[in-house]
Amino acid sequence: MNEFLKKIASILEVDDVKGTDEFKAFPQWDSLSVLSVIAMLDASYGINLRAADFGPIRTAGDLWNLVQSRKGS
Amino acid sequence: MNFSFRRKRISGVLTVVPANERSFVDEMKNFNFPESRSLKLKEVMGYDKRRLVEQNVCVSDLAVCGLEYLFQRGLLCRDEIDALLLVTQSPDHFIPPTSNIIQGRLGLKQDMLCLDINQACAGFVVGLIQALLLLEQESVRKVVLINGDVLSRKTSPKDRNIYPLMGDGASITVVERDTEDSIIHANLKMDGSRHEALMIPAGGFRLPSSPETAVLEDVGDNNLRAKDHLRMDGSAIFNFVQVEVPPLIESLLASAGATNDSVDYFLCHQPNRFMLQKLADKMRVPYIKMPSNVVEHFGNGGSATLPLAITFNLADQLKSGHCQVCLAGFGGGLVWASMLMRLGGLSFCEMIEFE
Repeated sequence: MNEFLKKIASILEVDDVKGTDEFKAFPQWDSLSVLSVIAMLDASYGINLRAADFGPIRTAGDLWNLVQSRKGS
Repeated sequence: MNFSFRRKRISGVLTVVPANERSFVDEMKNFNFPESRSLKLKEVMGYDKRRLVEQNVCVSDLAVCGLEYLFQRGLLCRDEIDALLLVTQSPDHFIPPTSNIIQGRLGLKQDMLCLDINQACAGFVVGLIQALLLLEQESVRKVVLINGDVLSRKTSPKDRNIYPLMGDGASITVVERDTEDSIIHANLKMDGSRHEALMIPAGGFRLPSSPETAVLEDVGDNNLRAKDHLRMDGSAIFNFVQVEVPPLIESLLASAGATNDSVDYFLCHQPNRFMLQKLADKMRVPYIKMPSNVVEHFGNGGSATLPLAITFNLADQLKSGHCQVCLAGFGGGLVWASMLMRLGGLSFCEMIEFE
């Protein structure tokens, strides 16, 4: 998960992101960041998400859990 | 769906772009976003300059300008055109077909086929497939394929999802018989169940334009757009391209007995630099073999961006020599299509400006 959080932090242009951090709290969290996260998940984890999949996602930890569940399927 | 065509070739490509240039930095104050985020968008997507028509310019104007240019220089004769195909989503009128308007304005012969094709960003490959099919007929010796759109006129200046990437332009491609025993392979897929990802909701017969459809609405993320405007679900389109296009091209190359290495250039529709670089990464194709520089210079003008990638990057190479190219278009519909051919020996390959 550390590696994952580092990638999220890099997209949000901050030093670090914790699993409990809410995406909405970051001023850089906009449609461009969503697209960057989608591209990162595809390139690094082979997972294809749509923006609609982000609906129930609040925190970086929520997203990590979604990534884990998709990897298993 | 797979296609193959023997003894046919592209013999010339001309692109027409409006002279009117806009800059992202000048226009970003229209968006309700912090300047730093807009600059980030510019950097990631590769937005910079783009070419837009003035408000009254139509697709037939761009097409007539390009065809007159070819006639005047003896690069094409009026009477040798047996079919004129126009791929556009911004026709001059609902009725008649814009291809007929172009035929009439240019005084072309009556003994020919004019056909409008409503296709989006896959429209260069789809149009080529139609042109090649027509050339199977004895009576059809030369087909002129026009791709053009002026969709900047249907985008909201306050919609950061789509406004900064839109461009306008047209291309003219001549397709004819080849004296050599060449073969062109193509394939395409369509999925109408995802048609809402790219659409203009109002203005047709389902929802005619009215004062209500012209009202700007807050569509989230600080973007304002009316139902008369083109809308794009950017992340759905990104996802679609990354998931569907690599296997399509893989299957095309396999059916042709070709490999990534035997292709000199992958010439794709040009949505933005970001999407094309991610596509190249996924396909393990070096960036140099997949040009992605059209949007930063001209914007995304729909199906004419693929020929623009050709005239902007490979003009000299394709006039004096040949390349093995894989073309790929993908977009509204949804439609995704690819084509493998030996391209070169072109009698013209250039770009002109529409004043």
